[in-house]
Amino acid sequence: MSDIRLEQLTKSYGDSVAVDSVSLQIREGEFYALLGPSGCGKSTTLRMVAGFVKPTAGRIVVDGQNLTPLPPEKRDIGIVFQNYAIFPHMSVADNIAFGLKLRKKSRSEIDTAVRAALEQVGLTGFEDRFQRNLSGGQQQRVALARVLVTEPRILLLDEPLSALDKTLREEMKFWIKNLQQKLGITTIYVTHDQDEALTMSDRIGVMRAGQIEQSGTPQQIYEEPGTLFVTSFIGQSNILDVKCLEVKEHKATIELGGQVLQASTHHLIGKGTGAKLVIRPENVLMGQEAEAQGVPLLAATVLDETYQGAMLRYRLEVAGQEIVAERQNQFHLEKWDPGAVVRIGWTERRARVLPEDGAGSSSG
Amino acid sequence: MDDVNPVPLTFRFIAALALMVLLVPVLIVVLAGLNSGEYLTFPPEGFSLRWVENFFTSPTFLPAFKLSFGLALATTLISTVLGTLASIFLTRSASKAREFLRGLFFLPVVLPGVVLGLALYVFFIWTDVGLARSLAGLIIGHVLVTMPFVIATVTASLVDLDLSVEEAARSLGATPLQAFWKVTLPLITPGISAGSIFAFIVSFGQFELTLFLATPDLQTLPLAIYSSLRYAFEPTAAAAGIFAICLVTVSTLISTRLSNLKKLLSRR
Repeated sequence: MSDIRLEQLTKSYGDSVAVDSVSLQIREGEFYALLGPSGCGKSTTLRMVAGFVKPTAGRIVVDGQNLTPLPPEKRDIGIVFQNYAIFPHMSVADNIAFGLKLRKKSRSEIDTAVRAALEQVGLTGFEDRFQRNLSGGQQQRVALARVLVTEPRILLLDEPLSALDKTLREEMKFWIKNLQQKLGITTIYVTHDQDEALTMSDRIGVMRAGQIEQSGTPQQIYEEPGTLFVTSFIGQSNILDVKCLEVKEHKATIELGGQVLQASTHHLIGKGTGAKLVIRPENVLMGQEAEAQGVPLLAATVLDETYQGAMLRYRLEVAGQEIVAERQNQFHLEKWDPGAVVRIGWTERRARVLPEDGAGSSSG
Repeated sequence: MDDVNPVPLTFRFIAALALMVLLVPVLIVVLAGLNSGEYLTFPPEGFSLRWVENFFTSPTFLPAFKLSFGLALATTLISTVLGTLASIFLTRSASKAREFLRGLFFLPVVLPGVVLGLALYVFFIWTDVGLARSLAGLIIGHVLVTMPFVIATVTASLVDLDLSVEEAARSLGATPLQAFWKVTLPLITPGISAGSIFAFIVSFGQFELTLFLATPDLQTLPLAIYSSLRYAFEPTAAAAGIFAICLVTVSTLISTRLSNLKKLLSRR
């Protein structure tokens, strides 16, 4: 088990910067997800850690040892690729034995380890199969077994679920997470899928344009997004234009449609400047619920309602801006028809004020 | 139930015609070689094995056949190794010289054999290192014209190869060389064997280039057939042709069978 540190890791190709001074510390046994849209630099970062891409600047440090100058074969870092990269000319057993043979283990040691690895990934009896006779999920298990049998210090997973169908993906999500926890292996997981990142990780780093925009627990990332990008990339959010009146001790006083409201913030925003109010649809309270909370209320007009089974989704207009609210679909709760005027509100903690993109500075 | 045939009748007719144009001359050579008459004529006057026997006893044909066979083997070996290395460079290198080198490698296919032969001959004489009119010089010439075929087939399989299997091998602890031997090479073997068959066949039948580089005591089979037809219109030349056809057919069959066998074995 090992910890890993990236120190101002940078990769540029000519003028374009793929990874821009990424610094990161991942604890022993931690499951860390690099989450971002395609082209954000998450895969390049992973490939630098694996040793396939040479960083332009910065260092990769594992257990205090600088790995940056080492070739992939000297790093003791295991990687599972998006397409699994099973050696098609070898049986499952030979695939798994590959790393052990290179480590000059004895025949009996290899046999034992291969058997144990197959059992661990639930593929006992698949020893003599070849890649073309394996399903996507089975190939992924083989790829994991092949890596884990060499007992790497760090496990890298490059979008391992994206090639699987939805049902299998759900199943593998928990299976991988369980295996990772059982082994306690430090893991970096690259994905563009927020669900995977939120459900599997201990911490998430949201990447954009070569930089980590925000790094934190899934809860922090979801509930306290630090930037507009993180807000809109993870889950759904209402983003409203507001005017910032005052910021004091992580509390912002803002004005929306003539109403003065309170919201939380981690940013220093100038008085009287425009800002964005960010609020998740499930945190918009309506009618009696809003009144019961004793929060400041705003008058909104229902534009339409979408039936989503367990949830009802209302599109509302407030102070000339559109806002979406999601309510649980329960018989005892109020319902509104399009055109109805309803009072809405939110608790201060659930609403966050962010500076306009690019403006303002974070105060942590 | 009738299956809808996806190939239109017209296409099948054209294909049959093309096949005929390709195969009839081969048939004529075979029949002419089995002629019982004194001269190379068609249709044959009767059938006998006298010219086949003559091929074995002739002081020119059998040695020429052996030389061509040996030359083709040596050429294939060198061409396959060099061509594979060149393909790896051409597919993997980020060098700017890549496109230029690719053009250079394929030049021998584009250039008329006569031009290439003359150029090599002049070059060998001019450098004066003993390559002119020597077996080594002949092999060099043949490698030049056969290597493009190896490069073409091996490049195709390298382009198809998923690079992540090599990377997987590397991160599992393989050095670049180990990754090549254990993963890349086995996966591009079909391309390499196809290329080597081409190299063998091209070298065995090579004529124009050989004309410039061979000597009277270094007569390849195509040259021997050519000169025998010029000076004596004997059916032995056609008999030699039969053996050439057989050799090429057999070598092609063996190598396709070998590569298929490998596939079959791995499929189990």
